[in-house]
Amino acid sequence: MGLETGTVVSDAERAARMLMSRVAEPGDVDACRLVREFSASELVERLRTGRQGRAKGQAWAARLAAADPEQMRRAADRVGARYLAPGDPDWPDLAELRTLESAPRDLCAGEPFGLWVRGPLALGSVVESAVAIVGARASSDYGDYVAGSLAAGCAARGWAVVSGGAYGIDAAAHRGALAAEGTTIAVLASGIDRLYPAGHGGLLENVASTGLLVSEAAPGCSPTRLRFLVRNRLIAALSRGTVVVEAALRSGSLNTARWARDLGRPLMGVPGPVTSMTSAGVHELLRQPESVLVTDAAEVLELVAPIGSAPAPVKRGERIPRDDLDEVSQRLLDAVPKVAPAPVASIAVCADLGPAQALERLAALAQRGLVIRVGGGWRLSPTRSDAP
Amino acid sequence: MATGLTYSVALDGIAGRLVCVEADISPGVPGWALSGLPDASVAESRDRCRAALLNSRQKWPDLKITVGMYPADLRKVGSHYDLPIALALLAAQGELPAASLRSCVAFGELGLDGRLRSVPGVLPAVLSAADNGVERVIVPAANAVEASLIDGVRVLGVRSLVECIALLRGEEPPVEEELEPWLADAEPRTVRPRHEDEADLLDVRGQHLARWCVEVAAAGRHHLFLEGPPGSGKTMLAERSPKLLPELEVWQSIETTQVHSLAGLLSRDDPRVSRPPYQAPNHADTVPSVIGGGGRLIKPGAISLAHHGVLFLDEALEFRPSVHDALRQPLESGEISIRRADGAARFPARFQLIMAANPCPCGMAWGKGRECICVPSKRRQYRERLSGPVRDRIDIVNEVLPVSRAEMRQQVGSSGSSQQVAARVAEARLRAKARFAELPWLTNAEVPGFEFRRRCPLPADVTRPIEDLVAIGRLTQRGADRVARLAWTVADLGGRDRPALVDVDEALFLRTRGLHGTSAVSLRRA
Repeated sequence: MGLETGTVVSDAERAARMLMSRVAEPGDVDACRLVREFSASELVERLRTGRQGRAKGQAWAARLAAADPEQMRRAADRVGARYLAPGDPDWPDLAELRTLESAPRDLCAGEPFGLWVRGPLALGSVVESAVAIVGARASSDYGDYVAGSLAAGCAARGWAVVSGGAYGIDAAAHRGALAAEGTTIAVLASGIDRLYPAGHGGLLENVASTGLLVSEAAPGCSPTRLRFLVRNRLIAALSRGTVVVEAALRSGSLNTARWARDLGRPLMGVPGPVTSMTSAGVHELLRQPESVLVTDAAEVLELVAPIGSAPAPVKRGERIPRDDLDEVSQRLLDAVPKVAPAPVASIAVCADLGPAQALERLAALAQRGLVIRVGGGWRLSPTRSDAP
Repeated sequence: MATGLTYSVALDGIAGRLVCVEADISPGVPGWALSGLPDASVAESRDRCRAALLNSRQKWPDLKITVGMYPADLRKVGSHYDLPIALALLAAQGELPAASLRSCVAFGELGLDGRLRSVPGVLPAVLSAADNGVERVIVPAANAVEASLIDGVRVLGVRSLVECIALLRGEEPPVEEELEPWLADAEPRTVRPRHEDEADLLDVRGQHLARWCVEVAAAGRHHLFLEGPPGSGKTMLAERSPKLLPELEVWQSIETTQVHSLAGLLSRDDPRVSRPPYQAPNHADTVPSVIGGGGRLIKPGAISLAHHGVLFLDEALEFRPSVHDALRQPLESGEISIRRADGAARFPARFQLIMAANPCPCGMAWGKGRECICVPSKRRQYRERLSGPVRDRIDIVNEVLPVSRAEMRQQVGSSGSSQQVAARVAEARLRAKARFAELPWLTNAEVPGFEFRRRCPLPADVTRPIEDLVAIGRLTQRGADRVARLAWTVADLGGRDRPALVDVDEALFLRTRGLHGTSAVSLRRA
C-alpha cells in the first residue's frame, strides 16, 4: 500500500524504514521503489517470510536476519539522532531524485525513503535557502581561503552551507559558515553515529550543535567508496545550487557536480591558477556550457536565489572623467602635452582638428578641469591622473 | 712525595670550563690511578703518555702515580688531556719548573713517539682560557694558527714533547729531523658548495620571481621555501645563495670558526672561517649528523656548522619528523640544546634556512596534474609534513615552475648575476645595519621583537593591508611581524628610508605565496 504525500508515517512504518536503512544499501533504487510502492513494513514482512525473491531479496533477507533494531535505536539515542521520513513536517522535497531513478548511468540511486538527522534545525525549511560548496580533499591554501570566504559570505546573507565534512574544501566551507555564525549541514557517507574522518570529530560535533548532520545509511555503517558517491547526490539535492571550489581532474567532488547538473540545479566553479593541479578539474567543468564561473558569495547567491531577488553588482574598473568624453574630445585630450605647454596650433594639428574647433573644445575640457592654460599654451591638468 | 700541576679545558658544546690537572708521585707499590670521572678516551691517556715520555728520553716513574682532574665531578671526555697529564707528571718529577706551568693551559693529544697531534676544539678552548685570565696556552703546532686567532693569550705551538719540554725550560729546542707528517693529520675535507667559484645565478634560466625571492631572502636573512616539480631549478637557486651574502663580521667569524673547530673541519694554515658557511645535509643522513649529538662526545651537527650561513634542506619533506621538530628551537632562539642521559651541550645554530620540496611524493602535482599518481590523501599528508611552527617562521614561500621554452631562450640581464645581486644585498644590509647600530644583530629577520618594534616601526599609513589580513584571520600576530620585517627588507633593497605601501604589498605577496598583496618588482626586473 503506497503512502499518500503529506501523511505522516506510523511508528511501525518508521521502525520498518529504519530497519530497511540497515538492510539495503543507501540509495539502492530497488529498495527505494519497493518502499515507496508497498511500504517498508510490507517489504520487511515479505523478506521475513521469504516471499521476496530474486538475488537482492535473498541478500536483504540475510541482512535482515542479522540486523539488530534495538542496538540501532540505542546507537541513535546515544548521539541524539532522529529518523525523518516523507510526510514529516521536516522532510525536504527530494521528489526530483525520483526522476533520476531510471537514468542511464552506472551509478543509479533513488529517492530516499528516510534520513537520519542530528541537530536543532528543521531540514526541510533549511534547504530552501542552502548552497552546496564542495571540492578537493588535497586543497591548497588558496582553495581553503576561497571556500571559507564563500561560505562565510553566504552564511552572512542568511543562506545555509551544505557540504560533505571531508578534509580540504568541505572542511573549509563548514568552518567558514560556523565562523560567520551561520548554518551548515554536513551530509555523511557513514552512519549518523560515526563521524568520519576521525580527525573531524570536533568539527562535526560543532556542526551538529548549531546545524545539521544528515545520513542515509543506518547507525554503525562505515563509509565505503560507493556510499560516498551515493551521498553526493544528497549534497546536490539538499541545496539550491552547487559550487566547486577546487578539484583535480579526477576529484570526487566532480561527481557531486554531475548530480547538480542532472537535477537541473545551478552549477558553479571558482577558477584558480592554470598552473595549479587542484584547479584543473574546475577549469574543465567551467568549459562546459551549463556551468558558470563565480568569484564571490554575491555571484553565487545571484544564481541560486529566486530570480531578481539578489542581483550581484556588475564589476567594472573605476570610471574616470576621460570615459565620458566623445571621440573627438578624447583625441584632442591625447594631443595635449603632459608637462610643457604647447600652443593651440600644434595641438590642433596633432589632433587633426581646425584651430578654432580645437580652441572651443579645449575651453570645454578646461571647464571640466582636464587641461589648463599656462602662458600661451595648454597642458594637462596636474591634479588629474589620466592614466588608463 | 712530589706533585705537579697544570691546567686544561673541558669542552661542553661550545662552552669551556677550566680544568686543573694534578699529578702526584709517591713511594709505594708502582701503580697508576686517574681520578675525575675520565671516560674511556681519557683513561687511555696513560698508555699514550707512557710511551711518549719514554720516547722523549724521559722517565716513567716506577712509583705510585696518581693523577687528578678537577672539578672531580665533571665528566672528562676527549684525548686532549694527554699533554697536560704528561706535563704535570714531568713537573712532579722535577723535570719542568713549576713556574712554567702556572697560568698555562695545555691541550693536545700525544702520539706514542712523543709527537703532538692536532685536536678539534682548540679555538673554543683557547677562548675559554682567555676568558679565565690564563696567560699562555700550549697547543699542537698544527693548531697554532687557530689558537692565535684569540687576542690576549700567548700561544706556544709545539710539534713534540721534546720541543715542549725544551721551550718550557727556556732552552733551545734540539733540531729534530723533519718528521713525516701523519697522513691522518692531512687537511680536513671542508664542506664547500659544488663549484663554488664558478656557480652563478646567471646559470639559472628564467625564474625571475624565484630569483627575486632569493635576493630578498639574502638581504634580510629571511627563511625561504621553494616548492616545485623536479628539475625546475630550486636546488640550483639555493646552492647559489651563500655567494650572495657578505663576509662574516669578526665576531661572527669567531663563533663560526669555534663550531667548525669542534667538528675538526678547520684548515691548518687558514683556519678562520670568513665566508658564511653552507650546509646541505641529505634527508637520509642520521638525525645526530643534522642536529648534533653522537656517541661519547656530543658533536655539532649540520645546523650548527651552518651558523651565520645557509642551511639548505633539499627534499625538505623527506626529512624525518624528528629533524623538523628539532628545527623549532634554533629557528626560535638561534641555538640548539642536545640533551642526553649523561649531560647536555649547547651549540649555536643561527642560520638562514632554505627548503626545497616537490609538490607531492611523485613530484608531478602541477599544471593539469595528469602525470601525478598520488591519491589526494597522500598529497595532503605530504604537504602536512612541514609542521605548523616551522612553516609559520618561513618568511618567503615561492612556487618554482618549470621554465617555459620562451624563458629558456631569453638571456638574463647582467643585473641578475651573482655579483650584482650580492652588491645590492650588501647595500641593503648596510642600511639595516645602520638602524641596528650597536646591537649584536645585523638583519631585519634576526632582530628580536622588542628592538625591531622600537627601531623599525611601520609608518601608520602603510599598515592597513596587514591589519586587514590579521582581522580576518589570514595572518597570525607572528605572521604580521614577519611581514613587517620583509617590508623593511624590500624597502632597504629599494633604497627607501622607510617602507612604502608598495613594499608592504610586496612583502605580503612574498609571505603568502602570491595569495595576497602584489609583486611589482619581480615584473620590472630584467
